[in-house]
Amino acid sequence: MTLRVLLVEDDRELSRTLRDAITAEGYEVFTAASLSEGFALLRGLGAGVAQGCAPVDMVLLDLGLPDGDGEQLLAEFRKKHAVPLIITSARESDGQKVRLLDAGADDYLVKPFSIRELLARMRVGLRHRGTSITPAVTQYSLGALSIDLGTRDVVLGGNEVHLTPTEFNLLARLVRSAGQVVTHRQLLMDVWGAEFTEHTHYLRLYMAQLRGKLEENPADPQLLMTEPGVGYRIVEQHVGG
Amino acid sequence: MSGTVTAMTDEKTSRTMLRQTRWRWAWASVVWAVAWLLMLDFETRIGLAQVAITLVLASALAAIWLPLVSSLVTTAIAVLAFDWFLVQPKHTFSVDMTEDVLLLVEILALSWVVSALLARGRVLAGRASRSARHADQMRELGDALREEEDPLKRGEALRDALTDVLGQEVKLLLLSSSKTTEGKDSGIARFGDPSSEELAGIWHCIRRGKAFGAGTGCENALPALFLPLRGGDEEAFGAVSIQVGQSKLPDDGSVLQAQALCDQVGQLLHRAETQREADAAQAHAHGQAVRNALLAAISHDYRTPLAAIMGAASSLRDVGKKLAPEQRERLADTIVSETRQLSRLTDNTLQLVRLDAPGVKLHVDWESADELAGTAIGRARKHDPDRRLKVWSEPGLPLVRCDAVLFSQMLENLVDNALKYSNAPAPVELTVRKQRGYIVFAVRDRGPGVEPAWREKIFDVFQRGDWRSSSTNSAAQRGAGVGLAVCRAIARAHGGELRLRQRAHGGSSFECWLPEEEAPAVEGDNGAMSGARR
Repeated sequence: MTLRVLLVEDDRELSRTLRDAITAEGYEVFTAASLSEGFALLRGLGAGVAQGCAPVDMVLLDLGLPDGDGEQLLAEFRKKHAVPLIITSARESDGQKVRLLDAGADDYLVKPFSIRELLARMRVGLRHRGTSITPAVTQYSLGALSIDLGTRDVVLGGNEVHLTPTEFNLLARLVRSAGQVVTHRQLLMDVWGAEFTEHTHYLRLYMAQLRGKLEENPADPQLLMTEPGVGYRIVEQHVGG
Repeated sequence: MSGTVTAMTDEKTSRTMLRQTRWRWAWASVVWAVAWLLMLDFETRIGLAQVAITLVLASALAAIWLPLVSSLVTTAIAVLAFDWFLVQPKHTFSVDMTEDVLLLVEILALSWVVSALLARGRVLAGRASRSARHADQMRELGDALREEEDPLKRGEALRDALTDVLGQEVKLLLLSSSKTTEGKDSGIARFGDPSSEELAGIWHCIRRGKAFGAGTGCENALPALFLPLRGGDEEAFGAVSIQVGQSKLPDDGSVLQAQALCDQVGQLLHRAETQREADAAQAHAHGQAVRNALLAAISHDYRTPLAAIMGAASSLRDVGKKLAPEQRERLADTIVSETRQLSRLTDNTLQLVRLDAPGVKLHVDWESADELAGTAIGRARKHDPDRRLKVWSEPGLPLVRCDAVLFSQMLENLVDNALKYSNAPAPVELTVRKQRGYIVFAVRDRGPGVEPAWREKIFDVFQRGDWRSSSTNSAAQRGAGVGLAVCRAIARAHGGELRLRQRAHGGSSFECWLPEEEAPAVEGDNGAMSGARR
């Protein structure tokens, strides 16, 4: 079945370019140029699907819309559905980026972005459908590294890597969202607990330890990537790996 | 409350005056008593002429202490007594000899002239001492005002000076601007806690720019006198309220002096306001000039990538079908890379403007120097996969306190710059090390280096020119102006500095020196760990 994508974007040129490119990749695209049109499309599409199912498989959402802010749609949409939602915006405010990610956006692309980047993020998002209920990813493998979240085994180049419980929990949290950025707040909350959400220096030190054990050159990481001011991301594993 | 204070002050003043009057009369009485003893003695032993001289002398001495009228009256009484007791026939007011009559008249005239002269001298001396005191008060107020930075806080000094002049407490209101109106809170300072009626009078006085109330000829019936703090023509920067006691008005001299003191502060506030307006106008003009220069510099930087995009895109549209697939792909690559260039330029420009604004807030947090360096190199590699990029960091570096987004932007700009101005295969390196209490991020290339004359100027957004040692200004090598300017602004916003150093065997090293700070400790699950990693 063709995956359905809702594209909310008020710039007509950009909307057409994105629609053509995404359609060419085999998705079915519905475009909305305003917040109200976006809500209307979701309602209309929702009427045609079974109860409890999402009206679309993915949402690409612009923030600055003529009749309001895309954030409103994000908030409404997240109350009902867990399908991936990617923010596309010209506003490069990292405070906002973090807030939207914490509010349930799966990813955030700052304009201008390339189609290749957008399609890659869409693929990652779709692979993580349903992460909030059951982790879609329990096995991770990239190059010489393989991680099994179930058995808590981490193997690098055929040798088992010893991780402390905190290191493993941090790695596991990233692996569950492989390819997606996880904010500092989310990581601190899930690994250390709610009272540690301001302790970003914990993350710096544990990430350094993890890189020391898993990266060939910890100063030039290829696996555990930093998104400055936002969070961390473990690179996406090879499809089918 | 203030009424009580005024009454108390009045009572104190009148008591002092009463005591002084008593002393004066005592002295005068002593003089006259001694004089009469001498006169009675001289009359029997020497003669009437000597007695007459003594009387004149006593009158003159007594006139030193007595007021004019009292002095004239006591002298007249003394002359009559002289006639009664000492002039023949004694114990009558009649005089036998014509020369005695003449003597009596001369004594009286001479004594009166002396008393009048002494009284006049006293008045002049009093005036001179009062002017000297007024001059001192003006000078003291001037000194007090100079010591105070904030013009509005000068009210306390004025209030002290006025209390000194008028001998009673006053209440006042100061305005930082003559345009300030009633009902506003800022730019107004009150002293002495004026009541609502007093405030109404003060505001009326400020609006009129003239004195009114008791003794001014305008609203004479009021129980208070209001004086404005005049700064210019009809412009008042506040006003003073002086309660007038039931007994008396302050004398004209004191009121004039009080007005002079008020005007002194008014003129000071006027000067401060004029200075503020001039500064604001100058800052505005300067800001405008900087903005215009910035816009001119930036629009120049924008045109080049725009021209490249226009060229490539119009080629694809107009002659695309005649081009080989590789040529089309190259044109498309040009559009993508030039767009990225434009995007970077936009980010830098916005950041430069933002950092230039007053009160800019950074989102500082504890960051890992390794991560910042690794991320910058990782991003550069993504955009330029063919170039050799190396990153090295000293083991055990402490965390740094910075705004990760800004700092990454700076490092990416520096790496981008190094890539532009040096050719493959020479690598571009990003190193982080600790040196003399600083964390030093260095981006090093093996390019042609920077001409000595340009080493400081290249950080200035408005400077243009060919600053490289050899002229290799290809299409890719441009737009350093905004990029390096924002890098320096970012380094400085973090309390650090961005420097350019020439490398020993050719090439440049752009170094950001960031002061080292002590990071908080972390409790780990493998024992306590310090702020340093590993």
